[in-house]
Amino acid sequence: MTGPDHARFADDAGAYLLGALADDERAAFELHMESCPDCRNQVEQLRPAADALPRSVEQMNPPDRLRASIMDVVRAEGDAAPRPRRERPRLRFSLRPALAGAMLVLGLLVGFGVAQLTGGEDERTITAKVDDARLPTASAELRVEGDGDDGAALTAEGLPDPGPGRVYQAWIARGDKISPAPTFVADRDGSGSVALPEDLSGADAVLVTRERRGGARVPGEMPVMRVDL
Amino acid sequence: MASDIRNLADEEVMQLVQGGNPRAFELLYDRHGGAAFSLAYRMVGNRVTAEDITQEAFLSIWRSRTRYDQARGSVRTWVLGIVHNRAIDALRRGMVHDRRRETLDGVEERHEARERTDVEAARREEARGVRDALDTLPEEQRRTIELAYFGGFSHSQIAEMLEMPIGTVKGRMRLGLEKMRKQLTGVVLPGELA
Ligand SMILES: [Zn+2]
Repeated sequence: MTGPDHARFADDAGAYLLGALADDERAAFELHMESCPDCRNQVEQLRPAADALPRSVEQMNPPDRLRASIMDVVRAEGDAAPRPRRERPRLRFSLRPALAGAMLVLGLLVGFGVAQLTGGEDERTITAKVDDARLPTASAELRVEGDGDDGAALTAEGLPDPGPGRVYQAWIARGDKISPAPTFVADRDGSGSVALPEDLSGADAVLVTRERRGGARVPGEMPVMRVDL
Repeated sequence: MASDIRNLADEEVMQLVQGGNPRAFELLYDRHGGAAFSLAYRMVGNRVTAEDITQEAFLSIWRSRTRYDQARGSVRTWVLGIVHNRAIDALRRGMVHDRRRETLDGVEERHEARERTDVEAARREEARGVRDALDTLPEEQRRTIELAYFGGFSHSQIAEMLEMPIGTVKGRMRLGLEKMRKQLTGVVLPGELA
């Protein structure tokens, strides 16, 4: 049994599983699958083959220092609620900024544009600082009503596709505590927006990262945007 | 005790990890860190970046540990999926483009892993089996699948590279996976592909 418009998607299952569809195509195919048992079945049929691909590679042993480096961070975080840390002694790989993301050393963000404040007394519009290296075309602003106790709205433009299975997520920073806020996606034109219903009074900043669909409890990378309140 | 938790199945270990147990997480790394690193290396073609990606992926796994859902697949598939996503991100950020062409052309460094345990030997056996399944595909199907999965290229990029219509590329991906699926019966370790 096929859903409406099936012919358009008939050959998409393989490309979908391999992560080879463009973002908008993937979204369209996922929507189509909801009403097309044929495509759903085909994806489930082919999935074991796609899942086997990572197992085909030559097996290598990672260096022992990698295990030590990972476990240092994990033990330091313990089973307490994960929270940002100011420093990490063993980090010496080239991905340093991305890795340091979860530690979110606030204020260490470099290469950011200049923030500015506009708007009347009741509504403030604050321009976000955007990491030009990772989001070269993006701009965003946060509209805050009054003291922010009624929340705020973030609107962004020029957002690139965050990658397969990934979304943008907002965060609220208070001191060194970062709490998760809703996720959002960019439409075809690269615009996206998210409402932050939480009381923002006393918050220091609103941050944005790219996370896996569904959102994260703690940031998985250095923020790509930051709005200082 | 160490001897106790080492007897647990992945899904049980994962429950301890979800409760915030660093020792269980260490065991998870010991079981899947090698496969994770090997996948990252296969995709980016150099050891330093592969280490970065593995570290990033495992820290992300630790921090998002409560999001693992057994109903949606094995722990190993979940871990490797996260590594795959991180490696694709790195490829698309252009961090490793100098090396990727080399890798895609089949020039690969070989690092024979030490055979330490029966599990590792079984994993290597499994890897050979999956490679054999891939090798039964017609060359153009195998190449299309590898460019997409390991190279992080989209179907339209692949169509351009191989100078063929997008429809043909998509068709080869589907047909190749279909054929591979049939070849895989009995190759993959039991219970590991949900
Ligand atoms: Zn369909």
